[in-house]
Amino acid sequence: MRWATRAGVHIDRAACAWLIRRHLDPDASFVFVDDPAEVPADATAFDMRGVELGHHGGDCSFETILRRYQLDDPVLWKLAELVHEADLDDERFDAPEARSLDVLLRGMSMTLDDARVLEVSGPLFDGLYEYWRRGLLLGREPA
Amino acid sequence: MPQSTVLPAGSARSGSLGRWVLLAYRLPREPSNPRVGVWRKLERLGVARLGDGLVALPADARTREQLDWLAEEILEASGAATVWLATPGSAAQERAIAAAMRAARAAEYRAVTDQALSAAGAGAMERRRTARRLRGELRRIARRDFFPPPEREAARAAVDALAVKPAVAEAGP
Repeated sequence: MRWATRAGVHIDRAACAWLIRRHLDPDASFVFVDDPAEVPADATAFDMRGVELGHHGGDCSFETILRRYQLDDPVLWKLAELVHEADLDDERFDAPEARSLDVLLRGMSMTLDDARVLEVSGPLFDGLYEYWRRGLLLGREPA
Repeated sequence: MPQSTVLPAGSARSGSLGRWVLLAYRLPREPSNPRVGVWRKLERLGVARLGDGLVALPADARTREQLDWLAEEILEASGAATVWLATPGSAAQERAIAAAMRAARAAEYRAVTDQALSAAGAGAMERRRTARRLRGELRRIARRDFFPPPEREAARAAVDALAVKPAVAEAGP
């Protein structure tokens, strides 16, 4: 399936793309557009203004996708807190790692194109997922 | 090649005209919750208020996105909102807006400095706790500080001193 999002990806879009590929559509391909009008007819748009899979009711797009596709994996919801804070920084959650995640992704978007940002950030989200999976099993921060 | 265009915020300092992102919005008077929510978010972003329902920020990848999502939120609350990219009509105008934003941040930094100074005589635990809280506050202010005033360094120094220096009472014989 084709998915479309705004060019110049940052944390929310990179995390959504990872979520889509790992949990919704292993064969996902991504298109980056500058304007919502450029979204191809056969593509599902995410993290853009005016689309279903965007920010809604104070949620970032990552949280919206979890809700719309009824993904209730607690590890993904833990990651959602990080993504939410890195993206919105509204202190809804206590996620001190979010600041660094924001900086890492900002840096990547300065040196890499969008497709590469998704490639490079994918393993980062895999690692975060595994870290919090172990963390939730142990009930404390894993090492 | 990087795709996101990151425009230098604060070009008002150098004299050349910068690019700004503007949000023009209207919200119904009732219910008041969305109005208050939007107002708080705008305060947090440190916007320049250009008029009734018109706010501005120096344009960069982050500010553009923040105002875009805020516009979306206003539409969801049955309001009206449009986002614009603009250049001020004159350098003097831009300097005046930047000066007002700088003054607003300066007041926030001074409040932090005052709190740090008034905690300087407290016990070590209390000083560390206050330093931690004020560092969080400094981070929040810095994120909306597009034209850093000299008060920023003073505030940082006051908070750092709180974190490292032993209290006078404990340093005694």
